[in-house]
Amino acid sequence: MVISTVTPNSGVRASRSPSADLWDFFSPCSGDVLALPKVQCPNHPDAMLVEDYRAGDMICPECGLVVGDRVIDVGSEWRTFTNEKATQDPSRVGDAQNPLLNGGDLSTMISKGTGAASFDEFGNSKYQNRRTMSSSDRAMLNAFKEITTMADRINLPRNIIDRTNNLFKQVYEQKSLKGRANDAIASACLYIACRQEGVPRTFKEICAVSRISKKEIGRCFKLILKALETSVDLITTGDFMSRFCSNLGLPKQVQMAATYIARKAVELDLVPGRSPISVAAAAIYMASQASAEKKTQKEIGDIAGVADVTIRQSYRLIYPRAADLFPPDFKFDTPVDKLPQL
Amino acid sequence: MEQNNSLPPFQGLASPQGAMTPGMPIFSPMMPYGSGLTPQPVTNTNSLSLLEEQQRQQQQQQQASAQQAGVPGGLGQTPQLYHSQTVTTTTLPGNTPLYTATPLTPMTPITPATPASESSGIVPQLQNIVSTVNLGCKLDLKTIALRARNAEYNPKRFAAVIMRIREPRTTALIFSSGKMVCTGAKSEEQSRLAARKYARVVQKLGFPAKFLDFKIQNMVGSCDVKFPIRLEGLVLTHQQFSSYEPELFPGLIYRMIKPRIVLLIFVSGKVVLTGAKVRGEIYEAFENIYPILKGFRKTT
Repeated sequence: MVISTVTPNSGVRASRSPSADLWDFFSPCSGDVLALPKVQCPNHPDAMLVEDYRAGDMICPECGLVVGDRVIDVGSEWRTFTNEKATQDPSRVGDAQNPLLNGGDLSTMISKGTGAASFDEFGNSKYQNRRTMSSSDRAMLNAFKEITTMADRINLPRNIIDRTNNLFKQVYEQKSLKGRANDAIASACLYIACRQEGVPRTFKEICAVSRISKKEIGRCFKLILKALETSVDLITTGDFMSRFCSNLGLPKQVQMAATYIARKAVELDLVPGRSPISVAAAAIYMASQASAEKKTQKEIGDIAGVADVTIRQSYRLIYPRAADLFPPDFKFDTPVDKLPQL
Repeated sequence: MEQNNSLPPFQGLASPQGAMTPGMPIFSPMMPYGSGLTPQPVTNTNSLSLLEEQQRQQQQQQQASAQQAGVPGGLGQTPQLYHSQTVTTTTLPGNTPLYTATPLTPMTPITPATPASESSGIVPQLQNIVSTVNLGCKLDLKTIALRARNAEYNPKRFAAVIMRIREPRTTALIFSSGKMVCTGAKSEEQSRLAARKYARVVQKLGFPAKFLDFKIQNMVGSCDVKFPIRLEGLVLTHQQFSSYEPELFPGLIYRMIKPRIVLLIFVSGKVVLTGAKVRGEIYEAFENIYPILKGFRKTT
């Protein structure tokens, strides 16, 4: 095959055998005998060659010189379409691996037979393996499935699921929490991942999608933090405002007012020792009662996972300073002195 | 070298040599138990062994300085100058001995001690002592439950007799192997006395009860620092030791390493100390934590 050159510096090259042409362009790196010869364009040695896999060429992007020739094509042998007969995918590559999490299972397995000869007289298949696929990581795969199911229920994005999987893998490999139920560890990892991503979920929200009790998740949470030697940031009232308010259907101004109220209440130390969730719920109650969209304590308690007496207690603590807590530009539907007093 | 007999040389633990004589208030608040790892606010190490090493180095320094110093008798009892609890964030001396100065040299502290720091005037009160004793013979729990007063026995729920006495108001769990757990006493002596009373009861019922291996397993104390505390600040600076999850428990759980004590610290300023085997550990732990809590006092 003739190599088309643009302006060869070293004279005109007549057609030669392909192999000789290739070797001409090979130049070992200076001073390094052991380096493999690199293919490079003679005019632009620094240019990164673009691979044209269809024709098997390596092309210099600067001058268009076809440098490599007859490069082996690594694309698939045939084109695969996902239409009918999807069960028979002729691709020999298989599923995308998840090497970070699985430890690279490259074992092959014999599939079920399809012909008539693979079934004995009763209709059972003669070769029945498929059982011990990846016994070492079976529990981990199970846990990943459980994590994905749990995260799906509360619509968590992929990055949190990945982080949870990574945490679970680290905990699992450490074996320090081996005796605990995998589901409990998975739930605790999910809780930690949400915290680490800056979007904490309350323990009760994780409980709602898991079969494990809050106590057990709390225990596993502390054990995992100790085992992995990490720590998480403290939760604040603002972390939950957007979720609770949108679940209640409150408009943006009310949400912003509630955030401001809760933050102010914590700054003024009106609610010492109260859980941030309770303070957030009380702030939402105050903000919603001052606006047109009034929500009852029961509704808010339902969404936030706090008892309505708890909201009442925290509300009683912030009520005396209500006038100071509202943001300055808040439009009151019910003035401050008409706020419910319980 | 060690001419002073009034105070024992500083050890790692604050207990004097020899067994504790009951009834005598050895561990008065004026004796600073500032030994051990004063938790340092800003350390980047995560491993406990590193912390222990630091603390061991500090102790060695103190041992060295203590050996140099003779003991001026009159100088000894002023706690305020050399109390180990300084508010600096550099490596703190674990235990600054009271008497670092020789009669010849001027009183220059080896490590700069803030003159304002003195021992807190607060003594943690013991609330609960858990102890175990081996009565040394197999027991028939059914007879004990039937014949003794104030005994309950429900083998389906729990495999021990639960007996209560009024005098040191305590509860005992008596197992069929002959081992017994005594809880609820407010002092070591009371716990021992109560255990002896239970053993007597068992003896009177006809079993050859002995009183072997009485050991105090856990002591719980509580006190009040009388000012509110910023737990969020404390958990930020002492991350390796603290755990504060308002969703799970309203108090901060502080696991001190040098006296291995767990402290529950609340916003109101109340502190509960538990996990001690001897009374001195509780006092030592409180003396260690007090300056830290002072640093996180709520200003409003």
